[in-house]
Amino acid sequence: MLKYLKEEGLMGARLPLLLCPGCGHGQVLNYTLNAVDRLIKEDKIAKEKFLFISGVGCSSRLTSHYLNFDSGWTMHGRAVAVATGALLANPEFRVVVFTGDGDVASIGGNHFIHACRRNMDLTIVCMNNGLYGMTGGQQAPTSPRDMITTTTPYGNTEEAFDLCQMAEVSGASYVARWTTAHPHQVIKAIMKGIRKKGTAFIEILSQCPVHRKEEPAEMLAAYKRITIPVAKAKEGDKEKILVGEFCDHDKPDWNASYQRVIDRYKSKDV
Amino acid sequence: MTKDPHELYWLKPGRYYLQGSEACVEGALMAGCRVFAGYPITPASEALEHAARRFPQVGGRFIQMEDEIGSASVLIGASWGGTKAMTVTSSPGFSLMQEAISIGIMSETPMVIVDIQRPGPGQGYITASQEDVMQARWGHHGEGAIIALAPASVQEMFDLTIEAFNLSERWRTPVLVMAEEPVAHLRELLYVGERKKINIFNRKKPQDLGIKPDAYLPWGHEVVAPMANWGDGYNVNFVGLVHKEDGNVTDWSPQVNYDCTRRLLSKIEENAREIAQIETKFIKGSRNVVISYGAVSRTAIEAVMEAREQNGLDLSYVRLKTLWPFPEESLREVINDVDNIFIPEMNFGMMKHPIVEALRDRCKNFVSIPSIGILHSPEHILSKIVEETK
Repeated sequence: MLKYLKEEGLMGARLPLLLCPGCGHGQVLNYTLNAVDRLIKEDKIAKEKFLFISGVGCSSRLTSHYLNFDSGWTMHGRAVAVATGALLANPEFRVVVFTGDGDVASIGGNHFIHACRRNMDLTIVCMNNGLYGMTGGQQAPTSPRDMITTTTPYGNTEEAFDLCQMAEVSGASYVARWTTAHPHQVIKAIMKGIRKKGTAFIEILSQCPVHRKEEPAEMLAAYKRITIPVAKAKEGDKEKILVGEFCDHDKPDWNASYQRVIDRYKSKDV
Repeated sequence: MTKDPHELYWLKPGRYYLQGSEACVEGALMAGCRVFAGYPITPASEALEHAARRFPQVGGRFIQMEDEIGSASVLIGASWGGTKAMTVTSSPGFSLMQEAISIGIMSETPMVIVDIQRPGPGQGYITASQEDVMQARWGHHGEGAIIALAPASVQEMFDLTIEAFNLSERWRTPVLVMAEEPVAHLRELLYVGERKKINIFNRKKPQDLGIKPDAYLPWGHEVVAPMANWGDGYNVNFVGLVHKEDGNVTDWSPQVNYDCTRRLLSKIEENAREIAQIETKFIKGSRNVVISYGAVSRTAIEAVMEAREQNGLDLSYVRLKTLWPFPEESLREVINDVDNIFIPEMNFGMMKHPIVEALRDRCKNFVSIPSIGILHSPEHILSKIVEETK
């Protein structure tokens, strides 16, 4: 995978990652590059076609900092809108958006649901740690009720978003949830997402041991314990977090639909 | 050269009777813009609707975004994706775009934003205004200069939009076209010349200059770096943080910060003489000058003519075609020693500030002539001039 990473050179020394020890985001970077590597080899997609866009936050740091790909480390919450612009300029891009729960579901929530509605040809990889990591562990729209964070010192009095439900009802083509403890499933989901025309939303529960004040290994083990594949879930599993694929549709993406309008005005003589 | 399959829908040379908002969209298409993102807002919706009709006809893409934040963000992505991109909005929407303008300055992204100004603050109203001229320069967070043009006719909505694209590609920066409702809704003659005679500037690319990906400095080489786009094979990492010429953001120091911000400021401000344009009439030896811009200059010239012909006043006319960078040098070249400078504006004297700063040693009396929510009549301007010169 190292050939896809900027270890040093023009951009200076980049590794080891600036993420905290035990953070799950490095795993997500690893899984994503595995998926991309397989696509470059299996589907013969040119490396130049890949474009990584992110906003602001811990997860967004994966983009500009380390990748030997074209990338954009843009504004907080706006990654999906910037990626939309890139696709308008060039529908050939295979765009991966690295984002976090605060970035995509709070400040960028509007762009997120509308990109799903338009079915923009994006693969949104959302690292959900249930809080704002970079700014010091504040409450996020994904923080569970009663969770203690630096801005909910008496416990969170609000409900959390289910990001996959949000993506699905907003119209995304492909929606899946896994955790950092499911490497093979994540790699497969990202490959499927990039191959899929339209919006693929892949939520990955990613541990933040620093702000959750827990042991990383224990958090990974817990991800196995508290999740259940959606196909196997029964009535009594309500307390568990569903993982797996929530939807997988084949429908035209934004550019395919819009191209039909453009083609109406295309001269056939040329 | 391959013929463009959409050439049939290109604007042909000739005379057109168009609205200002339509003319700026046509100007963008003429400049080679092929991505438009926008959000409905009065009085800018006509431009949005015209773009929705026209962009697919010429093979471009139009998108109505969920808000103006999204529209401006699309410009960033589209520009780095290799296409010229624009949006048209009005004042409240312009406020929402400041975030993208700011990162556009830092990342040196060519993009064009047309602001058809309406009165503020708040929802204000939907009529005439020039109340965003300071927001244009200072609205974004952080230092860093901007280029802002002020069209005064349908012809200039077309011409200055092309100029805005040329400047944004030349200087790698967001360029603002600060229009107003009267010019946007005005219908008058537009003359479109031969396409090949229209000056179009496209961004310099490292591949054209023989710079290989390994040696490419995305923010180096020259004051305005050549721009490799995403997909060009240059591994471009777009950053919004303070960076070195190679894009490195990890070695921050006060010096790195100073150099980065200083360059963003100076590449525009130190080239103001080249970028900023003014237009003058009757200036030689005149003791009184009216300085105006945009729609107001249309009634200002009427007032000047009337004052000279009917009232026998010694009065000159200066129009700022460029608001930012402020054309200080150009103004000082034409204005040496005058008694009065009159500044009619559709605000309470915003551009009076840089005018006073530029000419305080050359004039004794600066008179602001505000009109709020409505364009000045020539009589309004004239009566103030007569009163002051009595």
